[in-house]
Amino acid sequence: MIEAGHFAAFLALGAALAQTIFGLKGDRRWAGMSAVTGFGLMAFSFLTLVHAFAVSDFSLLLVANNSHTLKPMLYKIAGTWGNHEGSMALWALVTFAFGAAAAALMKTGRVNFEAHALGVQGFLTAGAMGYLLFASSPYLRLDPAPFQGAGLNPLLQDPALSFHPPMLYLGYVGYSFVFALAAAGMMDGRIDRVWAKEARRWSLAAFVPLTLGIALGSYWAYYELGWGGWWFWDPVENASLMPWLIGAALLHSVIVTEKRENFAAWTALLSVLAFLFSIMGAFLVRSGVLTSVHAFAVDPERGTILLFGLMVYGVLALGLFVWRGPSLKGAKPWLIVSREGALMANNIVLIVAALTVLLGTLFPLMAEAAGRTMSVGEPYFRLTFVPILAVLLVLLPVAQNWAWGKADLKQWTRWAIAGAALVAVFAALGIGIWKISLGAAFGLALGVWLIGGALWELRRRAVTLKRVFRVSPRVWGMTLAHMGIGLFIIGAVIETTERYETTVALAEGGSGEAAGWTLTLEDVRSIEGPNWYADKAVLTAVKGGVTTVLQPMKRYYPAARMPTTETAIFKTGTGDLYAALGEQRVVDGQARWVFRVYFNPLIDFVYFGVLLIGLGGCLSMVKVKR
Amino acid sequence: MKALFLSLVIALAADVPLDNPAEEARAQALMRELRCVACENEPVSQSAAPIAEDMRTRIREMVGEGSTDQEVRDWFESRYGEFVLFRPKGNNLSGMLLWLGPFLLLAIGGLIGFLTARRKRTVVDQIESEDV
Repeated sequence: MIEAGHFAAFLALGAALAQTIFGLKGDRRWAGMSAVTGFGLMAFSFLTLVHAFAVSDFSLLLVANNSHTLKPMLYKIAGTWGNHEGSMALWALVTFAFGAAAAALMKTGRVNFEAHALGVQGFLTAGAMGYLLFASSPYLRLDPAPFQGAGLNPLLQDPALSFHPPMLYLGYVGYSFVFALAAAGMMDGRIDRVWAKEARRWSLAAFVPLTLGIALGSYWAYYELGWGGWWFWDPVENASLMPWLIGAALLHSVIVTEKRENFAAWTALLSVLAFLFSIMGAFLVRSGVLTSVHAFAVDPERGTILLFGLMVYGVLALGLFVWRGPSLKGAKPWLIVSREGALMANNIVLIVAALTVLLGTLFPLMAEAAGRTMSVGEPYFRLTFVPILAVLLVLLPVAQNWAWGKADLKQWTRWAIAGAALVAVFAALGIGIWKISLGAAFGLALGVWLIGGALWELRRRAVTLKRVFRVSPRVWGMTLAHMGIGLFIIGAVIETTERYETTVALAEGGSGEAAGWTLTLEDVRSIEGPNWYADKAVLTAVKGGVTTVLQPMKRYYPAARMPTTETAIFKTGTGDLYAALGEQRVVDGQARWVFRVYFNPLIDFVYFGVLLIGLGGCLSMVKVKR
Repeated sequence: MKALFLSLVIALAADVPLDNPAEEARAQALMRELRCVACENEPVSQSAAPIAEDMRTRIREMVGEGSTDQEVRDWFESRYGEFVLFRPKGNNLSGMLLWLGPFLLLAIGGLIGFLTARRKRTVVDQIESEDV
């Protein structure tokens, strides 16, 4: 079975090479056929791997190293991509999938351009397949086969994390096709309206899963690591944030190219960068060059190969850009105060934000090369990244109604008054009534400003309220995405500044206070799951008339010899009451269980906001017939 | 195995919060920006390692004795090196590069953008955007 899959993977590599050659020769039909064939072959090959995991075929080295018979079926299957080789197989499969989907969906009327795009995609696919087959093969047999596997990292035995890597890869790899479009557009010498329409759709097709993938990872870290936070500025998280920021810049710049045929070279450059940052993300995570709390499958040697691939793609693409870029000039004139100017500012800030993340992530590495060990963490990003992005977000509602070419500033006094009033109201409410810090009050005001601004713009475009549901899906997409940012800001600011965190040590039958809740430890019992056993605490939490039972667990996975935390979360309506079970200790001569208890206010706004951004992205992909 | 695991996690002292809520909040903020020296990439606030607990205790002690945030940071730095500071220092050349870099980039980006926009012509049409 696996041998058949292995053989199919070689055939798939052949198909990718055929796709490259036909494509670059300008044969749209055969390049498309090769892409679809390659996808079919690789899908079969990948399924043989999934099958081996599902039936726990330990004669396969990969399964023996990463699976276990006692795991629930979902995690056996997810185990396929929960390791280095398997995740690279998924990467290659998704690269094929984008080629095949593009072969079926692209209809620009430019045969040569489409063929070239498929050809470049074939080249990227062949690179991924070559890496998979010759540097990171998941098809190796193990003889004699062991009776039991070594298990998967227990932290990964979680529903959110089963779907986190495929989502993230859909995003990362989605940018491979955006890269291919940019390369083909530059070969073709036309980065214009037709090109931009196509590129925009595919950038969204990458951006939406990337957004959701990051959110899933963050949500997992929130409830699984037991630290109460949702973003730790960990290098691995930063690695996914950088392509996201570049992708967000691209989504805005491509609009200028579509509507005004301006920013052509810049949009092409961003298309290339989005993919390069995606590979760099994979390189940073996979190579283990960065110390991280969740670096799962790392291997420095393969990291070097990934870095080499990154450089080859980078040099080729940037070479093409230097060669063809200068001929891509925008024609339509514009002033600084215009829609073009506003979107340019958006791009400058998003790129600087991405570079800030890059600087903070790589700086400790560079310092280490110079013989110093140092750390860059949350305080750095809070004081650089956050204010830089905040400037952009303050201007967003004001500038999003500007006209192309030149905008009139007649209404700026109204905007200034509205903004100042909002800040004043929230500062007064925040300090006087809600007792929050001034910074948190500003954050709230900014969130409301963004939501209000997005709705105001929707209303303006609809002209009358009755027509609100007849505006195009793209306008709705923009509105929802910008509202999503507002919700996210409210959640992020309030959660970060007003989070309550404490440790309580309770004996069985004892009570304690945390975040205004009275917690009573009923008992701690030992329970067993399919491949773990655990101490499970039963905590009764009472506040006012509300009573709830929290059951946090501390699990131990004997196969992997690792403990994990299973937090208990109660949604109070204004936030999460969050408890994690710690160790047992002797306090005052009495055995007590230590609990970390958090109250995370408005945390759902963070995730709901990100979901809205994703939903807005989906709506913007909808085609409208005119 | 199970007994071994349980014995591993039984420790002696617990984290006892400071009585003064303002001081406790300050101590917790410091715990979030000091790095546990025995862990991969975790602040001492999150780590279950014994050394992190000692560090938390020491932070509370110092805050309770009236040390300023900077004194606490300095104490840990002199003891464990600048590796423990998640808030890197800005008072040397590379630190300045790190802290000012983003704002410098923003200034350069803004300047380039401004110059790009300024070489535009005088006659410009104003076109309302109907769709995005």
